Amino acid sequence: MDTLVRQLSRPAVPVHGEDDEAYGNAAEWGSMGGYGNLSRTGAISGMTVPRVLDPISFLATHTDNLSTNPEAKIKLAHGTTCLAFKFRGGIIVAVDSRASAGSYIASGTVKKVIEINPYLLGTMAGGAADCQYWETYLGIRCRLYELRNKERISVAAASKILTNLVYQYKGMGLSMGTMIAGWDKTGPALFYVDSDGQRIKGNLFSVGSGSTFAYGVLDQGYSYDLSDEEAQDLGRRSIIAAGHRDGYSGNTCNLYHVRENGWEFIGNYDVSQEWYKYNEKEKKALEHAGKAGVQGGSPMAVEA
Amino acid sequence: MALFAPPPMYADPTMAADKQHAFNPYSENGGSILAIAGADFTVIAGDTRQSEGYSIQTRYARKVWQLTDRCVIATNGFAADGNNFVKRIKQRLEWYEHAHQKQMSIKAIARLTQTMLYGNRFFPYFAYVILGGIDEDGTGAVYSFDPIGSYEREACRAAGAAQSLIQPFLDNQIYFRNQTPAPGAEPFVPGRLPLSTVLGLVIDSFTSATEREIAVGDGLELYVVMKKGRTTDDLVGSDNLIKNMQVQELGALGEGGSERTFLVSLPLKRD
Amino acid sequence: MASKGPVEGPSIGFDFSNYARNQYLGQTMGGLPKATSTGTTIVGMKFGGGDSGEEEGIVLGADTRATAGSIVADKNCEKIHYLTPNMRCCGAGTAADTEFVTNLISSNLELHALSQGKPARVVTAMTMLKQYLFRYQGHVGAYLVLGGVDSTGAHLFAVQAHGSTDKLPYMTLGSGSLAAMAMFESSFKQNMKREEAIALVARAIRAGVFNDLGSGSNVDVAVITKAGTEMLRNYEMPNERGVKSRNYKFRRGTTAWTKEDVRNLLVSEEVAVTAGAGKLQDTTEASQGMEVDA
Repeated sequence: MDTLVRQLSRPAVPVHGEDDEAYGNAAEWGSMGGYGNLSRTGAISGMTVPRVLDPISFLATHTDNLSTNPEAKIKLAHGTTCLAFKFRGGIIVAVDSRASAGSYIASGTVKKVIEINPYLLGTMAGGAADCQYWETYLGIRCRLYELRNKERISVAAASKILTNLVYQYKGMGLSMGTMIAGWDKTGPALFYVDSDGQRIKGNLFSVGSGSTFAYGVLDQGYSYDLSDEEAQDLGRRSIIAAGHRDGYSGNTCNLYHVRENGWEFIGNYDVSQEWYKYNEKEKKALEHAGKAGVQGGSPMAVEA
Repeated sequence: MALFAPPPMYADPTMAADKQHAFNPYSENGGSILAIAGADFTVIAGDTRQSEGYSIQTRYARKVWQLTDRCVIATNGFAADGNNFVKRIKQRLEWYEHAHQKQMSIKAIARLTQTMLYGNRFFPYFAYVILGGIDEDGTGAVYSFDPIGSYEREACRAAGAAQSLIQPFLDNQIYFRNQTPAPGAEPFVPGRLPLSTVLGLVIDSFTSATEREIAVGDGLELYVVMKKGRTTDDLVGSDNLIKNMQVQELGALGEGGSERTFLVSLPLKRD
Repeated sequence: MASKGPVEGPSIGFDFSNYARNQYLGQTMGGLPKATSTGTTIVGMKFGGGDSGEEEGIVLGADTRATAGSIVADKNCEKIHYLTPNMRCCGAGTAADTEFVTNLISSNLELHALSQGKPARVVTAMTMLKQYLFRYQGHVGAYLVLGGVDSTGAHLFAVQAHGSTDKLPYMTLGSGSLAAMAMFESSFKQNMKREEAIALVARAIRAGVFNDLGSGSNVDVAVITKAGTEMLRNYEMPNERGVKSRNYKFRRGTTAWTKEDVRNLLVSEEVAVTAGAGKLQDTTEASQGMEVDA
């Protein structure tokens, strides 16, 4: 086990000046080779960096890394509206499914909830690859923690692994705004972690370009004492509102519910279909109220 | 713990810090790629034109390569990065085969692709990658990637110069977007189209893209990976052949698996 | 007649007052709108004369692709523009500029011919073009091959957007000019016959069409002699559209709708006839006649 820890904590192999930087130790091939840039033990054996004076501005000129350089040729997929909140019945996590590269909708079927393990969920906003890669890597680290300590990692500790990790890369161009939700010894726990290195514990978050629209619906309908059905509907409605109004969010909504025995996938909902459904419901409710008003002769009845 | 080693600066005094020439190792070589998954097959296609600016570098450059008996890769963007990436992934697959006495599954190749692309997070491969093939259950699979490794399994994906021309067409024809079924008819189910239909859609996608996108043309290479035991009559049968279309079967790379891969090629307009 | 102090500049030419604003918008909004540019192959050559036994003339050639960025905007546009009955002008560069500058000069040449009582010469057209283009310092992005036959013989000029001109026996312009020039450099001869010249021009355009991504589709040719101009529109069509392998006709009712509203657009009007001009009329018949059948 000590070897494992040592290997994980070993500084990255100096990637420069070697004949072939992507392979690290040439003897580590086959079963000893690991995957991609991960060694057999899951350690990151080096990230290739261009040999220029300022690799950060190199990345900024050639990629649309932080959505600030639309002229760049290398377009990267970006995520958009996510929310999560704690309530009596656990945690609701809801996200949209649109990925955009500049003004182009790169995909409408993205899984923005990353299933780290059966008790932990992470959300994706910002760089799709950054979130996907590091949250998958977080899954490896959480599993190693379980093997070493014979118990599950707390949400606080897991989210701290992630912040510490991205903080090492601060200023290098990572772009992540993620929520880590899960259930541990202390009950439901929710953290916001981003690529600036910020880590906040909280009860209710919304992240991404559509977050303001989602907050509008969420704050209006939120209460800690919501029933499971009400809470799920609130999460779904908030994402659908954001998907409807924000051009960079939409397509579908993925809904998850975290309870004591782990997370459960509730469903996938088409934003435009749901939007019409809600409108229909509202119209019916209004009609119903109108009829009741006429019958009761209520002074509040307003002509449609 | 330092996961990232900062790069050594050039100590060369002639390289003045105040006047640094912008380092641009990237170029864009046009072309387009496309993959569609079926129930028991996958089609992965790419045109063969390689261009830079208004010049054609070659009318025949591969963008699609067979990796294993059940996985084919296609790359688009900067040809040098794409070719190099394919070279490296092939080497990793060979190592895997030596160590495990079997070929890597498409699911594992997809994850390997992610980590290899993300390893170059700060010096990205300018390559859009699509994997196509047959998964462990015998169903058609398409995985698509962005240049730094975010990936997703999909029913179909177009990438490259004509992505914005082809993808909306695929959304309509494969995912049945903006199509309402006839009253009382079965609802549309994506991913269940027959091979002959998919072949037609792919060929029409490329002939149409060639009409309107200057960086697409010259030739089309189309790989069809079939589940083991599946009939090949719908591809090899002569009545399915389009004018000038050639079909050849690619020999097995590994042992045991009896998935079959066919290469279909046909010419595209050259203007 | 009395002049009062410094003359105020007439408000002609481009207005640059929004230049800085547009540059700023271009930076913040991700690029200015792109003008359609005819990434092009255009060529021209002289033929006949000397001991060829044919009279002097000009052959002009052009491809027919118009592009907007890397998208083909028009697959069969016309790049050989009319100037006068015995002059034509091939345009490369910004599509709108080549169109308008040739139209303008064409009008002015007509006025010139009317005032002088004889057809304008090719040099006159060339001078008018270069003076106009020079005034706009290259902002009018027209690159032209001008050819024609006048009382002094057959002439061929190239006019650059900044106003410079060349007089040559053969020339190529546009993004496909290198490919086309390769054909001229290998095969051009002085005093070629008409059919040989047309074949060479078509070959030069084909070289552009197939080897330059900015050029494509068909070959247009114009032959100008003393007798007049013969426009050989779509002289060659080597890139005809293939047949689709599938049929994309949609079932009626494929597109969903949220509401249906049928309105009757027919207006029926009752006309009550008053006893106009004191004449008695059959009112029932008149009103029936005016009614529109629904």
